[in-house]
Amino acid sequence: MSAQAVPSKSRIKFKSSNAPIDKKPRKKIAPMRRQDRWGMLFVSPFFIVFLAFGLIPILFTTYVAFFNWDALGGAPEYIGFANFKELWSDTYFWQALRNTFSIWFISTVPQMTLALGIATLLANPNLRAKVFWRTVLLVPNITSVLAVAIVFQQLFGYDFGMINLAITWLGYHHIDWVGNQLASHIAIATMINWRWFGYNSLIFLASMQAIPRELYESASLDGANRWQQFRYVTIPQLRNTIIFMMIMGTIGGLQVFAEPMLYGGGMTGGDSRQFSTLTLYLFEQAFFNQRYGYGAVIGIAMTVIIIAISVLNYLIGRRIATDGTK
Amino acid sequence: MKRRIALLISLMVALGAGVAAPANAAPVTLTVWSYGNVFQTKLLNAYKAANPTVTIKIKKSDMDSNHQNLRNALRTTSVPDIAALEVSYIGEFRNYDAYFKDLNTMTPSASTIKNDFLGWRWSQGVSPAGKVIGIPTDVGGLAVAYRRDLFAAAGLPTNRTDVAKLWPTWSQFIQTGVNYKKNTGKAFIDTAGTVFAAALNQGTQRYYTSGGSLVYRTNGSVSSAFNTAAQAVTSGNAPGKYEGGIGTKTGQFSSGWGTGLQRGTFAVVLAPAWMLDYIKQQAPRTSGKWDVAKAPGSYGNIGGSQLAIPKNAKNPQAAWDFIRWYLAPAQQLTVFKSYGQFPTIESLYDNSSVTGYKDSFFNNAPIGSIYVASVTGVHNIPTGKKDRIIDTTFGQAISRVMLGKQSSSAAWTQALTDIKKSIGQ
Repeated sequence: MSAQAVPSKSRIKFKSSNAPIDKKPRKKIAPMRRQDRWGMLFVSPFFIVFLAFGLIPILFTTYVAFFNWDALGGAPEYIGFANFKELWSDTYFWQALRNTFSIWFISTVPQMTLALGIATLLANPNLRAKVFWRTVLLVPNITSVLAVAIVFQQLFGYDFGMINLAITWLGYHHIDWVGNQLASHIAIATMINWRWFGYNSLIFLASMQAIPRELYESASLDGANRWQQFRYVTIPQLRNTIIFMMIMGTIGGLQVFAEPMLYGGGMTGGDSRQFSTLTLYLFEQAFFNQRYGYGAVIGIAMTVIIIAISVLNYLIGRRIATDGTK
Repeated sequence: MKRRIALLISLMVALGAGVAAPANAAPVTLTVWSYGNVFQTKLLNAYKAANPTVTIKIKKSDMDSNHQNLRNALRTTSVPDIAALEVSYIGEFRNYDAYFKDLNTMTPSASTIKNDFLGWRWSQGVSPAGKVIGIPTDVGGLAVAYRRDLFAAAGLPTNRTDVAKLWPTWSQFIQTGVNYKKNTGKAFIDTAGTVFAAALNQGTQRYYTSGGSLVYRTNGSVSSAFNTAAQAVTSGNAPGKYEGGIGTKTGQFSSGWGTGLQRGTFAVVLAPAWMLDYIKQQAPRTSGKWDVAKAPGSYGNIGGSQLAIPKNAKNPQAAWDFIRWYLAPAQQLTVFKSYGQFPTIESLYDNSSVTGYKDSFFNNAPIGSIYVASVTGVHNIPTGKKDRIIDTTFGQAISRVMLGKQSSSAAWTQALTDIKKSIGQ
């Protein structure tokens, strides 16, 4: 009963609000149709969530960046661009940036290669128990990062880690997987790879299955072997997917946090910041050292870096895409 | 949705309880934010049994996260009823006493129980303005837990009195470690860097004066503890190698640490009273092989917690009732006997059930009297706002020395720069 009353009310409102617009023809905005209003309602959750958890925090972060802000202390102190200036000459920030790129590189390249390889195996039409393999691939991805970190800490432990035991058995000296910079990057990248290669494989698999069979048939008629088919048919057809994965991987890679945080070096990413990443450095400054203003500046710097890289990715991607249509 | 259901249930419970129980026993849910093993299940169950209307919900986080979460929550109304504060953070929070209940103003006032407690531990929970914000749960004390079998194999004495005579000072302790390593080829202590906090806490001052000014640069006991630790993490190495000095390279509480305890990779652990339970939990198979001797310098303290009630707590009175019960002499005695955490109640120190307490896991060492002796010499060291950051930074510097990344003096200089950068002075 009451449900019927609501639309009739809104209809009256709709008509009355329509009237003044007719009188003023200068306004070029078309009156909103009824479906459009419903449409607005349906898209509004996104905008509300974006406003609450996206835009407002971004604006507030920018505001905080100009202050010396301590959570419990007195009133925040306005310090102008001092935080920004400090960041520019902060060697620890640049070190975190280098670490982030290093871990990103060590994790992305093998991850993509492995994912592509596994997707090719799974795309084989003669494969048995397909659903099983696909499910298995997703398991690492849904495992809690904490659990992953605990297991990997044991693998990479100095005295009793399985990997070091294997290395000693082969006759080499123990590797300090936490203290040594490159070794720590490799270990953290391995954690990331393990979590994400399965997910990436499935995305590759999905786009591989969208490649028309005819292309392979004609390729094999032309005498192309398996490898040549992969190189000259599969890879070019996957171009867009590869670009998409690269962009997503870059954004994710620049924000890597949980793995280095849980790896056992505390908030600084090890005794000489050997695996401190951008996000970890932000967290350390804001929540451990209580320099919320400085943390905000690091956040802004990260945003700028991520936007710059996304633009670069887009430009490269567009070029590859146009090359592909030739 | 969940909250609504919870509300509905609590409403129903309230109605039900209203019929059965007197009106003053309305059901209360105490939210507690904690870390490590501050609260022991055995006692919580006893409290619940005696107070059926009280539900205690404990949210346990990692030590640093626990205090970060609390810091971010204190200005809001989403605070716990009880917050557990570690000694390395108490200096920070007691400087922000506006966010906590002054326990002197509660009923009954905290001043009525003050004299039961160990003086210097009590004053760690008092703000500069004299407000009492936290009641001490336990005191670390300091002793050395050692493996008798491994000491015998290395040709060292095994009797705890003779063992203590090996190391009246830290440099003799380190020398013992070097000899042990030479004789056995194995590490002496779990983590040599732990010497830093142990030596530092034997002084009268750390990073702050009692007036709150920073003295970490100039206080001689900080640099001297640093040098002692730097010596511990580099002594006994093969030439040109960095093997962790007299210790292993494995950090305490890491996964390798438990394995090391179990396998006897090292023979010694610097043990505040609460550490004994960790050893029991991590290495149950080594029962009876351990013993406990006096630490170098004979007294000391590492760790300890206090319980506080945030200003915006929803059930301050129920929280206060619980805290007073939980930290009363009888309960502290139970905690000591069951879990090894050492009481903060001074009258218990001449109680025969403490002084006569022995533990078979540690070869019937008179743990009670050892820790009584170790806590009574400790000075009232002033705590300060940035204690935890300074601790962490020095810890990393010592780790860099251990791994041969820096010389002791270069690590010290960098630590001072890093601290200045982090805390601004």
